[in-house]
Amino acid sequence: MELLRLEHKKIWHRKSVLIGVLLCFLYVIIFGNLFSYQWFTFGSVDDFTSSFGNRFDGYSNIRKKQEYAKQWEGDLTDEKLQAMVRNYQERAGSNDISEYEMTDWKALNSWIQTLWPELEEGDQPYIMLSYVDPSRLTGFEQRREKALENFLDMNGQTEKEKEYFLNMNAKVATPLQYRWTEGWTFITADFVSQCGVVLAIFLAIGIAPMFCGEWHDHTKSLIATTKNGRKKIAGVKVMAAFLFALELFGIITASSVFLQIVFLGPEGWDMPIQCIKILAAAPWNVLQAEIYEYVYLLLAALGYTGIVLLCSALTRSNYVSLLISLGIVFVPMAVSQFLPLWGQKLLDLIPFVGNSTDIFRTNMYHLFGLRIWSPYLLITVPISLGVISLPFAVHFWAKRAKI
Amino acid sequence: MELSLDRLTKHYHSQIAVDCVSASMVPGVYGLLGANGAGKTTLMRMLCGILEPTSGDILYNGRSIFDMGGAYRNLLGYLPQEFGYYPNYTAKEFLLYIAALKGIPRRIALKRSSSLLDTVSLANVADKKIKTFSGGMKQRLGIAQALLNDPKILVLDEPTAGLDPKERVRFRNIISEFANDKIVLLSTHIVSDIEAIADQVFLMKKGSLVLQGSVEDLVAHAQGKVWEFTIKEADLKKWELNYTVANLRHLDRGLATLRIISDQCPSSEAVSCEPGLEDLYLLYFPTEEGGQG
Repeated sequence: MELLRLEHKKIWHRKSVLIGVLLCFLYVIIFGNLFSYQWFTFGSVDDFTSSFGNRFDGYSNIRKKQEYAKQWEGDLTDEKLQAMVRNYQERAGSNDISEYEMTDWKALNSWIQTLWPELEEGDQPYIMLSYVDPSRLTGFEQRREKALENFLDMNGQTEKEKEYFLNMNAKVATPLQYRWTEGWTFITADFVSQCGVVLAIFLAIGIAPMFCGEWHDHTKSLIATTKNGRKKIAGVKVMAAFLFALELFGIITASSVFLQIVFLGPEGWDMPIQCIKILAAAPWNVLQAEIYEYVYLLLAALGYTGIVLLCSALTRSNYVSLLISLGIVFVPMAVSQFLPLWGQKLLDLIPFVGNSTDIFRTNMYHLFGLRIWSPYLLITVPISLGVISLPFAVHFWAKRAKI
Repeated sequence: MELSLDRLTKHYHSQIAVDCVSASMVPGVYGLLGANGAGKTTLMRMLCGILEPTSGDILYNGRSIFDMGGAYRNLLGYLPQEFGYYPNYTAKEFLLYIAALKGIPRRIALKRSSSLLDTVSLANVADKKIKTFSGGMKQRLGIAQALLNDPKILVLDEPTAGLDPKERVRFRNIISEFANDKIVLLSTHIVSDIEAIADQVFLMKKGSLVLQGSVEDLVAHAQGKVWEFTIKEADLKKWELNYTVANLRHLDRGLATLRIISDQCPSSEAVSCEPGLEDLYLLYFPTEEGGQG
């Protein structure tokens, strides 16, 4: 226990780790959360003196939006949709931004574009929501079903795959419910997935020197001659690395959730994810989606930790270990777009290369004749890769420490 | 307590670093002498269990140290030639970390590290970062970490490197005090250190132990092979070319006194003199080429 405590302290002793965690905190919590809620994303939009065009009033602006949306809460029927569109158009007609900005115009416009594409006018410079005739927006549920089928066809999915997703979609409760979910959209479709990249960078900074650092500091032979021996110390190093990964994840998650509760509140937690992506097939609510995404982040972080430890055990230089560790995430990200779909899907299984937002998508893996929806593999494979890496990391380090 | 080396051999591919070394050590101080590349460090690393021998064995009280594993390492204190440390640690933090690696409970580790820092005169800088230490201070810290677990076997590879004369004297005193009931093996290029504290000396050349015994026994091998005489400074080159010069002292009027190691009397004016360990060393290592390893 004492050794674990000191080994863990050793990670936090490094300046690079302290600076890294501070930067991570600043980027994720201050910029990604606090300023985003209060300024960049949710601040009211008519401040042309700010480089972001927003005022520093996100907290009150969110309250306004939530208050406005309350009148539309409940079943999302054709009539309600039409009324929401009509209300937006009336408010937008005044040319006063503050009049219409509290409406849920981003979600509405995306639904209309997806479900009534034939109403789009190519020569219109405005968003579809502003000119579409509300009375023509009928058959919301049927159109969603049809659009999903068309989407699956266009995606080149086989009949069996199509059937799988349509069955999944059949479990989505109808009529869809409506409440203000823009905050949940920000969290689930945007923020958590971006956290992965940041977490990868700072995890690599913290953990890459875990084993090779002993070469770097010339302490390898000292360690090898102590009572605990190489393998036991390697085991403690692994535990300390995982503890660090959990702490970093904890810092990000706890502060993000805290700020989410402060700024957005729990309101809308039971809304279906279809409020965020209309063609999503999963019968989940937004809270389940957020929990999934944080679990994805945690398991990817732990899996990545295992892989970084292996890199660290295989190299003798902190810098080489760090470069390889970062390369494992960023090289596949960069080359993925040039690969065929199967190649991209394969690379997505590497921790942090794939994306937690697959819960909104209809990607599928085929494994031993089984059809598996991508989010299931995206949370299990990265951690498995990490766990598989561990015995090799311990073995290689213990072996190399001997020579 | 007995530590035996039984035909210990280490090959690196076709190179022989240690060649069939056999020796036995009981409590006392053992000095390991040899030129660079003679195989001293390889031998010490095998003794510490870091390197596995190609053949042969090391036995502690009749048991192979490679079978004893942690139990043997628990008896061991080691100061490697290239002593590594964590630059951002303070001396105290470093000792506590090494103590944890050695499985020493925190309460005991705190006491022990504080007493050792005092012993090696680092108590006043216990809370200073190691990166601010001089070479000698780092070396003293290295000695302290090796003594943390009160080892029965202490292996010190070049422990006096980087120490000034005063620190070397202090180090010799620490080892002398410590060596009671313990086996201490130290290698150094500073022959006077070994001469001062070693009970037994191993002389290594090209991976083999060429001589072993007490300082007096070993020095006896150089008896009658150490000569002193006065020459003209102008002739110095000639003597240096043909003989191993142990010492040269310039005198007035273009004269110099030479101390030469030679089997035969080099000059009719040469007088045989009392040899020291350094003379013996030069007798066996007339040049710095020690061999492999």
